[in-house]
Amino acid sequence: MSNFEQFHVDFYQSNYTIDDQEEDCNRYGPNEKLCGRRKSQTGEQPPADAFVPSEMLLTSQSYTGQILQPTYSPNNLSHLSYTDGFDEEPPLLEELGINFEHIWQKTLTVLNPMKPADGSIMNETDLTGPMIFCLALGATLLLAGKVHFGYVYGMSAIGCLAMHALLNLMSIPGVSHGCVASVLGYCLLPMVILSSSALIFSLQGILGTLLALFIIGWCSLSASKIFTSSLAMEGQQLLIAYPCALLYGLFALLTIF
Amino acid sequence: QMWQVGKRQASRAFSLYANIDILRPYFDVEPVQVRARLLESMIPVKMINFPQKIAGELYGPLMLVFTLVAILLHGMKTSDTIIREGTLMGTAIGTCFGYWLGVSSFIYFLAYLCNAQITMVQMLSLLGYGLFGHCITLFVTYNIHFHSLFYIFWLSVGGLSTLRMVAVLVSRTVGHTQRLILCGTLAALHMLFLLYLHFAYHKVVEGILDTLEGPNMLPFQRVARDIPVVSNAVLNTTAKAVALTL
Repeated sequence: MSNFEQFHVDFYQSNYTIDDQEEDCNRYGPNEKLCGRRKSQTGEQPPADAFVPSEMLLTSQSYTGQILQPTYSPNNLSHLSYTDGFDEEPPLLEELGINFEHIWQKTLTVLNPMKPADGSIMNETDLTGPMIFCLALGATLLLAGKVHFGYVYGMSAIGCLAMHALLNLMSIPGVSHGCVASVLGYCLLPMVILSSSALIFSLQGILGTLLALFIIGWCSLSASKIFTSSLAMEGQQLLIAYPCALLYGLFALLTIF
Repeated sequence: QMWQVGKRQASRAFSLYANIDILRPYFDVEPVQVRARLLESMIPVKMINFPQKIAGELYGPLMLVFTLVAILLHGMKTSDTIIREGTLMGTAIGTCFGYWLGVSSFIYFLAYLCNAQITMVQMLSLLGYGLFGHCITLFVTYNIHFHSLFYIFWLSVGGLSTLRMVAVLVSRTVGHTQRLILCGTLAALHMLFLLYLHFAYHKVVEGILDTLEGPNMLPFQRVARDIPVVSNAVLNTTAKAVALTL
């Protein structure tokens, strides 16, 4: 039960469908009761102790295309035999939800703000790329002699909350915290470029200010482009870009001073 | 049982979201509208016999308050202000949001006493757009350090946005005494806030002393200083400067 509650991360896999789940359900001995319940589709009120499995049913059927398989198999097959479970376990990266191809595609989208974005790439909540970029920002700041990991963490957390509130108020379909955090984290990549250039020359002059303004514009443009394309808010790109620019401006202040 | 706890937490979270949804209609704007309202906020209206329409939206004012916070932070950072109790960010956010929410509520309360027709959202919106003048003034004068330039900007830009707010309020109030109370308070608070922001958060103390003392202005020295010491000196020298210019 607790596995399913943790498992609200959407992994955009088109391979798995409900049919696969039902088919594979037949293999699992302990869960025949579950399959039987699913196939029979009774409308009666299930007893209290089986209430949770049917809730699992509902959640599993509402996710189309989920990795229910990989986390399902090791926990249940381990009851049967250890060697079988080990062979049938999915690769580690897939189980963790890290898909390097998607990360790379999203990075390319951020790096090229002029190219129109595909709205569906942000369907999955991927926090690995953002974590890498935040750590990279902290590391480049560290190389410049500023130990500001706490500031980066705090500002990104508060910025995510604020942007989430604003986007929920301004868009008709809502957004989840994970999606906002993911987009904002990806668009932090140009800021990493700024802080690494701070290692080469000081940013406190005119050149530094101009470079910082350019990078802030780049970050906020790509963030607003991704938000507007995935939330269908076409005419409001500038309105979304401005709060993003303020947030990235704070990061730039951290980098420059 | 864990499921029941989870369900209770989820319903509590949902009720929290339901509260946010009340604000949803106030954020439904287009960029053209925001730009038009920003420009309008600097133009005082002439027609004060007819109640002026105030757009009750919160996106523009919220963004302007955040911009003011960012400008304050930038000014504090470039002048190496040290704040002893608290953080730079906390001070900036506290000042700006405190002004916006506090003065709005206070003027709304006065408006209630003086029988003016304005709602809280409209007051928040009006004051928020009035901060546009503050943003421009501070942005220019934090980077270009001429003292007289600040006073010119204070009177012209600050004055324009104050006049607009005052005109709108006057158009919505009847009775001379009430108009005087309401608009006098708002004008005083708005102008004084700009003065306070300029002097308390940027290193111009050296400049003031130099201007008063002699014709040759020494270049500004960026020296780290404590705010409480600065503000006392600032108040004294501001009074002297005002007396001299008048």
